[in-house]
Amino acid sequence: MLQTLAYGILNGLLYSIIALGISLVFGVMRYLNIAHGSLIILGSYGSLYLFRLGLDPFISIPILMPSLFLAGILLFKLLYSNFVSLVEGLRIQKSLLVSFGLMLVIDNGATLVWTSDEKSITPFYSGMSFELFRGFHVPLIGLAGGILAIIVIIALHLFFSRTYFGKSVIAVSQDPEAASLMGVNVKQAFLISFGLSVCLGAIPSVLVGLQAFSPSVGIQWFNKGIIVVMLGGLGNIYGTFPAGLFLGIVEAISVFFFGAPYREITGLVIFVLVLILFPKGLFGRIPE
Amino acid sequence: MKKVLLALLIMLLLFLPFVVKSQYILSLMITLFIYVILAESWNLLGGYTGQVSLGHGAFFGVGALVTRLLWVNKIPIFLSLPLGGIGAALLAAIVGIPCFRMRLAYFPIGTLALSMIALLTVSNIFIAAGALSTDLLKSYEIFSRYYLALCIVLLSIITIHYLVRSRPGLAIVAIRDNEKAAAAIGIKTLKYKTLALLTSTFLAGLAGGIYAYQHVSYYYDAPFDLTWSFTPPLTTFIGGISTIAGPIVGSICFLALSEIFAVTLGQVHVLIFGFCFILIVLFLPGGILSMKMATLKSLKRKIESPKVD
Repeated sequence: MLQTLAYGILNGLLYSIIALGISLVFGVMRYLNIAHGSLIILGSYGSLYLFRLGLDPFISIPILMPSLFLAGILLFKLLYSNFVSLVEGLRIQKSLLVSFGLMLVIDNGATLVWTSDEKSITPFYSGMSFELFRGFHVPLIGLAGGILAIIVIIALHLFFSRTYFGKSVIAVSQDPEAASLMGVNVKQAFLISFGLSVCLGAIPSVLVGLQAFSPSVGIQWFNKGIIVVMLGGLGNIYGTFPAGLFLGIVEAISVFFFGAPYREITGLVIFVLVLILFPKGLFGRIPE
Repeated sequence: MKKVLLALLIMLLLFLPFVVKSQYILSLMITLFIYVILAESWNLLGGYTGQVSLGHGAFFGVGALVTRLLWVNKIPIFLSLPLGGIGAALLAAIVGIPCFRMRLAYFPIGTLALSMIALLTVSNIFIAAGALSTDLLKSYEIFSRYYLALCIVLLSIITIHYLVRSRPGLAIVAIRDNEKAAAAIGIKTLKYKTLALLTSTFLAGLAGGIYAYQHVSYYYDAPFDLTWSFTPPLTTFIGGISTIAGPIVGSICFLALSEIFAVTLGQVHVLIFGFCFILIVLFLPGGILSMKMATLKSLKRKIESPKVD
């Protein structure tokens, strides 16, 4: 049972960091980026290439991050910059539609280039674990990923609470008009947040790559992420961390009781139930 | 003129099976009809009501599942088909209405999650492919499938055509354009959104039923595949959203492309359509149809303007 819990927590940390990327974009600019999962899978392929060149997947993160950041900026400039001035509802809908198209393009493009076969990055330490005490194993990769996720979450928190630019992004997320009156460059804040959101995908890229991935799983990871975002309260960036842990643990417990095939369903059913019973999410509020 | 053309087209479709004997063409037409019903029903919800559903495949799949299970167990298709539609609408009522109560992006995400739940559940419960019994196989012929599909296409197009022009239809469009204003002038927004949802999902369920009736053998989770959720918005947007003809035009283009590329390159048609979809959302919100009308108008102006000058 303790073992199950540990796996749940490590998975939950992965979910939170995926959710963080989605939540950042949604919270700051009310954009819903369905292609987030597909971008993560794109990063996984990048990491796989670097691994074949002889680079350790965890060392490839510092290379993936800036390239994904640039990709995010490029995508924003190309596809999303037109919606900045729209009203909230339209902004959600338009960005949802555009990212839906983007997702189809990325997924099917990836299928053409890399085929739909399942791939996986396999360094020598994959599958290794160490015994903390009798009967309690901690997987090495999961642990490293979890630590990385915690570091990123703390770094992001410091960025938003301590730096001038981070504070201005928070201001934009609360009230774009008022922020622009205070001299915040709203468009720039949007641009950087979008880049940051895609760049955050580098960590799940590697972690998903170390498990198994194919072009079609992007939507499944997006789905995990968006469930966590909604459990945490849509638009509430700080809610994603506890919500991710919650989902990971609940899934792990459900595997313990019902078996692995129903793991995905449990998460989704909880999501629908929460949607019906607690529309504001478990840990947050819907910002007006 | 328009009415004559329309009547001609319907006559053509009615007599097609007598002229074309090829099973391939007829089953392709049935697939086209399924696409059209699904896209029209999506359009009622996504276009006229403004509620983008990313999980129409769930309703399609439930329609297929219910119809198939009833039909295989000796219940006539004329009964099992509508029951499949009702099953789909029931599912929509349970999950869709709570999503409607909330603002923001809950509806698209809720329906997406629903379609994934349905896919995973069905693929876990029904592992084997569902083949037909020998009696049903012996009596299988494509004519009845073709005419049933044609009937349902006409039914759904007529239903949506008259629904959006009726009083409830006007209320639905008013809600899409401005929900708060619509509520302020006394429109019961939840009631009309639910009406659109139930009609739309009922039709999607019927489309699923035709799929179940047409195919001899398929895996039960095939109609729950996410492509059934993603195709209707693609075809509707590319043809022209919030029009009756748009989904038809889009579906024809989609099916033609997928047939061209089916032999060579698998999923290329989705890639092309995804790309066109982005362009259309960004630059041409009216779809192909609006482009045609715009060019026609400009042509007309070019022809007429010299005379004025």
